[in-house]
Amino acid sequence: MRAVLFALALPLVSIAACSGSQTSQIHNGQANVSTDSRSAENATGSNLELRLSLGDATRIMHERHEGMETIGKNAKAINRELAGPSPDLAVVRGGAAQIAELSTKASGWFPEGTGPEAGKTGAKPDIWQNRADFETKLHNFQGAAAAFDAAAKSGDVPRIKARFAELGGACKACHDKYRAEMHH
Amino acid sequence: MQGVPRQISCGDAPLSVEGGRSQLVWDLPVRLFHWLLAALIVFSWWSVHHHHTDWHIWSGCAILTLLIFRILWGFFGSSTSRFTGFVRGPRAVGAYLRGEWFGIGHNPLGALSVLALLAAVAVQVALGLVAQDEDGIYMGPLARLVTSDQSDKARALHSAWFNVLLGLIVLHLAAIAFYKVRGIGLTRAMISGKTDLGANLPPMRAGKWWAALICLAIAIAITRWVIAGAPHVAS
Repeated sequence: MRAVLFALALPLVSIAACSGSQTSQIHNGQANVSTDSRSAENATGSNLELRLSLGDATRIMHERHEGMETIGKNAKAINRELAGPSPDLAVVRGGAAQIAELSTKASGWFPEGTGPEAGKTGAKPDIWQNRADFETKLHNFQGAAAAFDAAAKSGDVPRIKARFAELGGACKACHDKYRAEMHH
Repeated sequence: MQGVPRQISCGDAPLSVEGGRSQLVWDLPVRLFHWLLAALIVFSWWSVHHHHTDWHIWSGCAILTLLIFRILWGFFGSSTSRFTGFVRGPRAVGAYLRGEWFGIGHNPLGALSVLALLAAVAVQVALGLVAQDEDGIYMGPLARLVTSDQSDKARALHSAWFNVLLGLIVLHLAAIAFYKVRGIGLTRAMISGKTDLGANLPPMRAGKWWAALICLAIAIAITRWVIAGAPHVAS
């Protein structure tokens, strides 16, 4: 019977261990942010104008995170519509416009100094090591978002689906290479 | 001890008894199910960690087919694959642990492991079916039956539940290693289907090949219906 109890206990322990480590990650993230904003005042003197102040880094990273979340939320809503038999084109149009608008803002979301060194983020340091490649992929995303927005406005469902698949491909190309697996 | 048959009562399927006859205990459907499931679980894990979410979803659908097949085969298959043939109560588990159980196929303790593994895989498949990825690119075939927020929660649970599955797999492998150390090899029997049985044990009653084909056809039909988004149930 001991073996049976062990069999039952093992999964529970592994879940507990998993959620425990997630909680501590979140706490670490918060700790990082507060340390960053305190040390920002000290850092400005020596790195004047050359480096982003850490307070700004935190603000941009937050904006980036919220922006990506909003893009994802819209993409999910659109994906659901397009997978169904009669897509609600109002949802598709609204989401497409919002994604296109946020995609233009994304140009300012990745200044140097907003990587994992500045706090909790899924942005990999490779972004700043392969800047040219990253910029190409970001540019492709912006192009795909604009093309999808145009298709959404046309109301032509097959065209919308084709452009949406291309947009997904552009998101994925960048995420596969430059986003760390995040558990939040 | 020469000439005296070793009665080893703790061992999943095969009671290896020196000088016993080599006999079929696991039929082909059970063995194919087992190895395909093992391979697809590894592939599912690998594909999702290497950004092949589309392959991951197809792999999950294939696992769904296997699961449905195995459940059907658990009612219409060979004697060692039928649930009524191996699922026993706590008293039988106790008897087995005291060395008082004799038979072929899953022993009463191993049966609990089989049920736990099947249930854990079924939960994992069900969560995957209604999940969606975090970017709005991929959806499980039944994701539209729930809300977007519920699909996100299903993804989180799908990812956490893998640890439960992994725990059971580790336990499964540890049990095989434990029996191996005690001189009872289980792996070869799951490959060849055969093991040495004691003289007085009843042999496996084989299932019908056409019953296996019907079970497979039903499993594929249900999977296709699920992939299509479960029409007529989904509004």
